[in-house]
Amino acid sequence: MTPARQGGRLPDRATALAILAALVCAAPVFAVAWIAVTGETGDYLAHLARTRLPVYLVNSALVAAIAAGGAGLIGTVLGWLVARTEFPGRALFSWVLILPLAVPAYVAAYAWLDLSQAGGPLHAATAGLFPTVRGAWGAGLMFALVLYPYVYLLARDTFTGQSADAYNAARTLGAGPFSAFARTSLPMARPALAAGLALVIMESLADYGTVSYLGAPTLSIGLVRAWSGAGSLVDAARLSLILVAVALIVFGLERAQRSRARSHAASGRHRPAPRFHLSRTQGLAAALACLIPLALGLIVPLARLGWLALNEQPAPNLLPASWHSLTLAAISAVLAAGLGLSTAYALRGRTFIATASARAAGLGYAVPGAVAAVGVIAILSGTQALIDPAWQSFTGEVFPVLLTGGAAALIFAYLSRFAAAAIGPSEAALARVTPALDGAARTLGATRGETVRRVHWPLIAAGITSAGLLVFVEVLKELPATMILRPFNYDTLAIIAHNYASDERLGEAALPSLLIPLVALLPMIFVARYLSRARSSSGQV
Amino acid sequence: MKYAKLLAAGALSVLAAACSQPDTAAGAGSEQADTPRVVNVYSARHYRSDAAIYAAFTEQTGIEINLIEASGDQLIERVRADGPRSPADVIITVDAARLHRAEEAGLFAQSDFSEFTPEIADNLIDPDGYWIAIAKRARVLAYSNQRVQPDEVSTYEDLADPRWEGRICVRESGNAYNQSLLASMVARLGEEEAEAWAAGIVANMARPPQGGDITQIIGVAAGDCDIAITNHYYYLLMQNSGEAANRAAAEAVTLFFPNQDTSGAHVNISGAGIAVNAPHPDEARELIAFFLSDEAQRMFAEMTNEIPVVEGVEWENERLDAVMPFTADTRNVSELGDHNATAQRIFDRVGWQ
Repeated sequence: MTPARQGGRLPDRATALAILAALVCAAPVFAVAWIAVTGETGDYLAHLARTRLPVYLVNSALVAAIAAGGAGLIGTVLGWLVARTEFPGRALFSWVLILPLAVPAYVAAYAWLDLSQAGGPLHAATAGLFPTVRGAWGAGLMFALVLYPYVYLLARDTFTGQSADAYNAARTLGAGPFSAFARTSLPMARPALAAGLALVIMESLADYGTVSYLGAPTLSIGLVRAWSGAGSLVDAARLSLILVAVALIVFGLERAQRSRARSHAASGRHRPAPRFHLSRTQGLAAALACLIPLALGLIVPLARLGWLALNEQPAPNLLPASWHSLTLAAISAVLAAGLGLSTAYALRGRTFIATASARAAGLGYAVPGAVAAVGVIAILSGTQALIDPAWQSFTGEVFPVLLTGGAAALIFAYLSRFAAAAIGPSEAALARVTPALDGAARTLGATRGETVRRVHWPLIAAGITSAGLLVFVEVLKELPATMILRPFNYDTLAIIAHNYASDERLGEAALPSLLIPLVALLPMIFVARYLSRARSSSGQV
Repeated sequence: MKYAKLLAAGALSVLAAACSQPDTAAGAGSEQADTPRVVNVYSARHYRSDAAIYAAFTEQTGIEINLIEASGDQLIERVRADGPRSPADVIITVDAARLHRAEEAGLFAQSDFSEFTPEIADNLIDPDGYWIAIAKRARVLAYSNQRVQPDEVSTYEDLADPRWEGRICVRESGNAYNQSLLASMVARLGEEEAEAWAAGIVANMARPPQGGDITQIIGVAAGDCDIAITNHYYYLLMQNSGEAANRAAAEAVTLFFPNQDTSGAHVNISGAGIAVNAPHPDEARELIAFFLSDEAQRMFAEMTNEIPVVEGVEWENERLDAVMPFTADTRNVSELGDHNATAQRIFDRVGWQ
């Protein structure tokens, strides 16, 4: 049986959902491309190419490289430590280390610049030795500190799921622990690490607030300037196509290296690798290694804001905003995880249509949120124009305005932006389910449904919930699309935080900024507990 | 594939719920006498004073406010995409250039604002009657008390002089207030001279642009630079900050309104217009009138340190009193919109990051 046919109806339905995912994700990008192609041509782009474009490109490359390097290093090391070693606080760090992802990069940037600028407390305390966090390296560092959880999460899940056989074999053959890790565990984890890094790169390229505040003009700055400065949405759309092309390359590379590294463990048996017990000093060093990025990405910026918050009266309406944030994020996370999982299943069939769908779904991630939102607006208003006449001739009434109708447009935008963040992790998770495992289950008389439920799910639950969690946190801090697409009187925490912060009222921005990771904590605790239950019961499979 | 089914079912029900969320906003044309009166506001402002003003408005008129706050360009795009069906009644921006753009996109209805003159200066009202200013903000200078003598500072133009080399802090040029400042230079001096000025500022920068206006003022206080370009209210905000370091920084610098003997200080506005397809034009007009009432104008002055546009309004705000009155540029603020694109290109050419 070839893998393509062996799944029977399962891949077919999954393929249908994968195509749906691709449509949802890529539609706004195609709408933006349409705007870019059909719009009027001015001389702004030529002007830009003559003046600022080289700077934008260099800064984009620098910021993305520093972000990817930093996040890759932190995420891989911490993922491995938590998955494969035993040290004080490991169980707590295991999920607390995800939390910096809930800190919007621009919030970290506001806090760090405030601390480290000339006249700031850190600058004063170190007599100016501590450098001001600014420019391309400052922005890259901010991204590394708040985005490393992408890599960490996937690395942790992969290292946890890895069979210890290869590593042990390498050790038996005389490799030291580090070399054995580098030559067995690391290559096997490469697909997951690549998926995480691809997200870090795209995220940092699409950011506007951080690079604008820290003075590291990237392409997305050029894009916003084309829109707001020159007033040409068309030129902004055209510039965003560069980002789309970069995304295609990044995700293409990730995919290419994933297929190269397709390595199913010989045995599907879940042989949880025993964790090394570190010596006392080593254990403390490991705990410290976890604490440093946590401190830099989460504790220090939030403590600074919290300190400033003490002097301010709290912003009003935080409770409804928290509720809005929570519900939007939860709905989007579940939907995105479903789409991601379906796409991952479809990809098992290795059909062209599945691969094309997965790639198309990655596009939504490429464009900055503000541009994606413009795509959503274009689609909704186009649909409106199509529906209106028909609706009116049938019912005699006007069709409700789609855009202002509710949160649906918003969820559409979120899925379009972030479903891609769920696909990579889902795929990495599903890679642990070998075709041989399916065959065994079917031979033993399990139906397809049973196979998925009793064999696949225990193996992939951790990965899929991580995927959902990523989207949850992304939506919590999403800003530009939320701003433009939300219904009337509908604030979220990210919006309130940004409104104050952009006004340089950091003290008042503090409380909503603090609430974002707090709201993220709730599902994280739930997920952590669910996963530990799932893990202990997966031993029965 | 039980899970997929479950997920799909869940997704559908959620989306259906989201879609069927009661739509209080878009009751265009179908208003009944007993339904509460509403006005739909699309605002680029997001200050606490506004919440207070809206609350007072609702209390006095019984008109409920539906509010969306986003950046000016985003609001313009949303209203444009909704076209004739847009529920927007009032569109408010914090920058004259954004008002200009909304006007060019055909989003505003022409209105007769003559009832508000002469309390409001002519240059704060669109000559074509598409929008009217509701509050003013001055873009001014803040210099170090230690390293700059009061008689050294005079005009914006002077900042391009080589004696300021390595002494100026200013934020990035994507910022709308910087764009409008340069646009005003273009309007006054012409494109060539404005470009030479911008190039001079870049040459005199103490450091590459970073942070916002407050960052620049702190930079002056900390000795990174000697003079900063800032909106006036950030300085007043720092004077009243809960953070001692901010108050100390404000102490160490002096706010200076340039060009007092020549063109006047550059002033930008928050302005409002009535949407061309406004479903509630009467309520929209009532809201704009309320923005221009003594009560609301006073709230701007007291809560956000903005400068009222209505002459003769009284307020209690010692910090604002201390910088008032001043001579402002008397050109019509609509010119800031006319020259915004030019200003943007100058920034790109001179490498103002």
